[in-house]
Amino acid sequence: MSVQRFVVIGNGPAANRAADSLREKAPESKITILSKDPFRSYRPHLLPDFIAGALKEEDLYFRPHAYYKERDIILRLGQSVVNIDFSKRNAILEHKELVPFDGLIVATGGKPRIPEQFRLFEELMLTLKTPTDAKLWIEKLASTEAVLIVGGDLTSLSLTKALLKLGKHVRFILNEDAFWPRPLNDEVYRAVTERLEQRGVEVIHCRRIKRMTRLQENLLEMETDSQTIEAGVLGAFFGLVPDVRFLVKTGLDIDHGVLVNEFLKTRFTDVYAAGDCAQVYHPGLRDYWVSIGYENAAALGRIAALNLLGSRLEVRVEPESILEVGGVKVNTSWWTEF
Amino acid sequence: MPEVDFTVEVCGMAGDGTIAAGGLINEAMSLGGFSVLGFDSYPAEIRGFGRCVTNSRIGSNEIVALGEHAHALISLNDEQSRSRAPFLSEHSLVFFDSNPPTYVQEEKSLLSVAPPGVIIFGIPFSDLAVSAAGSSRGRNLTALGGFAAVTGIEPDFFREVIKNKFKSKGDRVVDINLKSFDAGYEYAMGKFADRLLQLFPKSEDRAGHDKVVLSGNQAIGMAAIDAGLKLYFGYPITPATPIMEYLAKYLPEHGGRVVQMEDEISSIGAVIGSFYAGVRAMTATSGPGFALMTELITHGVMAEIPAVIIDAQRAGPSTGLPTKTEQSDLQAAVFGGPGDSARIVIAPTNVEECYYFTLKSFQLAEKYQTPVIVLTDFFLDNRVENRPLPKTTGEQVACWNIFPGESSKGRYQRYDDTPSGISPRSFPGMEGFNFTATGLEHTEKGTPDYSPENHSKMTEKRHRKIRSALNDLEKPVEFFPNDQLDVGVIGWGSTFGSVLEAVEKSRKNGFKVGALKITSIFPYHSEIIKAFMAKSKFVLIPELNYEGQLANLIAHLDLKPVERLNFVTGAPIPPSAIQNRVEELLEVRAQ
Repeated sequence: MSVQRFVVIGNGPAANRAADSLREKAPESKITILSKDPFRSYRPHLLPDFIAGALKEEDLYFRPHAYYKERDIILRLGQSVVNIDFSKRNAILEHKELVPFDGLIVATGGKPRIPEQFRLFEELMLTLKTPTDAKLWIEKLASTEAVLIVGGDLTSLSLTKALLKLGKHVRFILNEDAFWPRPLNDEVYRAVTERLEQRGVEVIHCRRIKRMTRLQENLLEMETDSQTIEAGVLGAFFGLVPDVRFLVKTGLDIDHGVLVNEFLKTRFTDVYAAGDCAQVYHPGLRDYWVSIGYENAAALGRIAALNLLGSRLEVRVEPESILEVGGVKVNTSWWTEF
Repeated sequence: MPEVDFTVEVCGMAGDGTIAAGGLINEAMSLGGFSVLGFDSYPAEIRGFGRCVTNSRIGSNEIVALGEHAHALISLNDEQSRSRAPFLSEHSLVFFDSNPPTYVQEEKSLLSVAPPGVIIFGIPFSDLAVSAAGSSRGRNLTALGGFAAVTGIEPDFFREVIKNKFKSKGDRVVDINLKSFDAGYEYAMGKFADRLLQLFPKSEDRAGHDKVVLSGNQAIGMAAIDAGLKLYFGYPITPATPIMEYLAKYLPEHGGRVVQMEDEISSIGAVIGSFYAGVRAMTATSGPGFALMTELITHGVMAEIPAVIIDAQRAGPSTGLPTKTEQSDLQAAVFGGPGDSARIVIAPTNVEECYYFTLKSFQLAEKYQTPVIVLTDFFLDNRVENRPLPKTTGEQVACWNIFPGESSKGRYQRYDDTPSGISPRSFPGMEGFNFTATGLEHTEKGTPDYSPENHSKMTEKRHRKIRSALNDLEKPVEFFPNDQLDVGVIGWGSTFGSVLEAVEKSRKNGFKVGALKITSIFPYHSEIIKAFMAKSKFVLIPELNYEGQLANLIAHLDLKPVERLNFVTGAPIPPSAIQNRVEELLEVRAQ
């Protein structure tokens, strides 16, 4: 029998746990990780500390290349999958290479979410998802004193701490999208405002952002429903959304993420999806939900790998942990534990 | 300013313009003021298939050996470039065609075997070349443009060397190639704006305009012309052919002639005939051709007729590996041929020595009236180094013939048994100095004589003459001299650069190591070599041959056993292999 070829798309927690599980249970197989990002696996929660200068870049990464070599896992970084031919079972890379597979796990993770009303201004905003983003922050901060934060996911709070440590003046805009996917009720709103102001952050309350303009290389201007604000850097923090756009034409069922059943299987044989990019069917809810968070993603990666190898493990999540935001059901069990 | 030590490889299929691209890198970086050592390897076949690889090591200090791991790989053919993946350093830069004409299977993809730490730069070489110049033939230039942009090499260096390379083909060809280069440069400047590096200092910091990029073979050809060569006879053979090509192009401008003979036997015969008549002549060959020459070489030894023979070694025996390097003709050069046929064998270690040793070989041949073999090898012949243009003095090209004095007129003995063994030499037609020349054993007058007394006397006379050549032969040179050494490494030929780099690195690691460069292979300076061996606790001789041919020649000089390090991979010995062996020896001693 020929060696089984497994391909994992992505290099985050789900992808890595999936590859590890495949290697553990199928020691003779050929396992390839394809990642569009050119960098190794990293700890995203350390990015603000890196920006603050408390860590060196190397400290962000947690798996040396030798880790993969020792496990005979082929790690291919900086190589984007642009399509998948399920009939011939090939992943098609941007540079026109065909990578054949017998089993496939899609674990591409999430990408920064930019709400619809901000899409026009996307180029003016910095996000913080990857080491590359962090380096851009460092570069921009070198020549600016004032930073404006829009949105308010957990990354933004960590980054705010880092910015204050660097002596920057931080303005924080709070509105209904600020803590997506968690709704911003009055109680949370007040608590967050108080906490930020205690730390020296200027909290700006507004319902609507009307306009953003770049006045100079290091000067942006934002007009809200109540005032006009200037800042050197503008950070946008609205959580993450599944990074699956490249899969739209492949024939996979895509909604917000890749639709999979409770066993993480897609509509194609031996093709699974796991982590932040998957929308998982919940038989109890009779609906799909999206998981976010590092540990959840890793757990799903393992389940996908084991099921690809013949197990029949069901993803179990309590319905109470799933809430609906903007039409998407999200498992936020990690949120309150943070 | 940070020191530069950067190795870039270009890999493609024959016909991709790989060697041309590597050559342009060498020229451009030389122009930028850097030290350059480049080496190409290519298939034995003429064209159309087979892998070509160029390796260019670029440094702010003098470069003496090839880079073992590439910091950048420019792939003009991904399937062929897969073989270079194991030689990539951890964070090397990989440039490849991101839009090949057809889909590529994983097993033919370079990126599927590239180490995960490499930084990938996909550039649509062919598309850009077609858009810019109307043809994909310039895709190698487009690749160079991308490489220059990403690594921070001033594009004008490349533009200048592109102009120089193509100017003989007219403005249109120059323009097409410049456009192809610029297309890659501009694409990379835009596409990789966030990843551009500044690996090479700007030109105002350096000026390399006084240096020329020369291969060992070019240096040999140049030296032969400077030495007053009038006739070159040869038969094509890799890796010696470029010498004939060079001379065919330039020797006629200096009043000389190149004659392609029917084989190597006739070539050496014609060289001996020319010298017999008093005209400087030369031939160049490789192992298989040298084997054919041996009978006539010994004729030169017996009849005491000069000859200059370049033996450009390649991997053997027999046809062997025509385009791979080896140092396995040493025994053939020193001992090859019937009888006790001592001759002079010298071996340069770098391109500069290729020039000066060739220059001197004519003087040695004339003075000692014997064939002189200049022993090079594929790695030395085919590699390029940038050096100041060699300059000769009148002394270096002067005639070293020792002519008979007027007093001996009428009683001239062509093979006069002098204290040095060197007999005054006349040419046919010199009135009053007539003689008989023969391959038969002969008397001092040249008359055939097979008596035991005469053969003993004349054999000793010829060997005394060769020994006396030590007065004019380069002495071994000791590097990092010390009264006592833990390891003394002896190197020769093209391998010496690796020896030097390895010893330098071991010394930086705290080891008491020295190096001895031997360029006079036969006769050799036994006392100097013996003294070096005596003061070394271990003697290591790395060679590109299986048998340890230099070690076999000189190991008897000291009682301790010589440690050998022999490679027959067809590629130069990596400095790290020598360094590891040095340090292994010392660790063994420490235990």
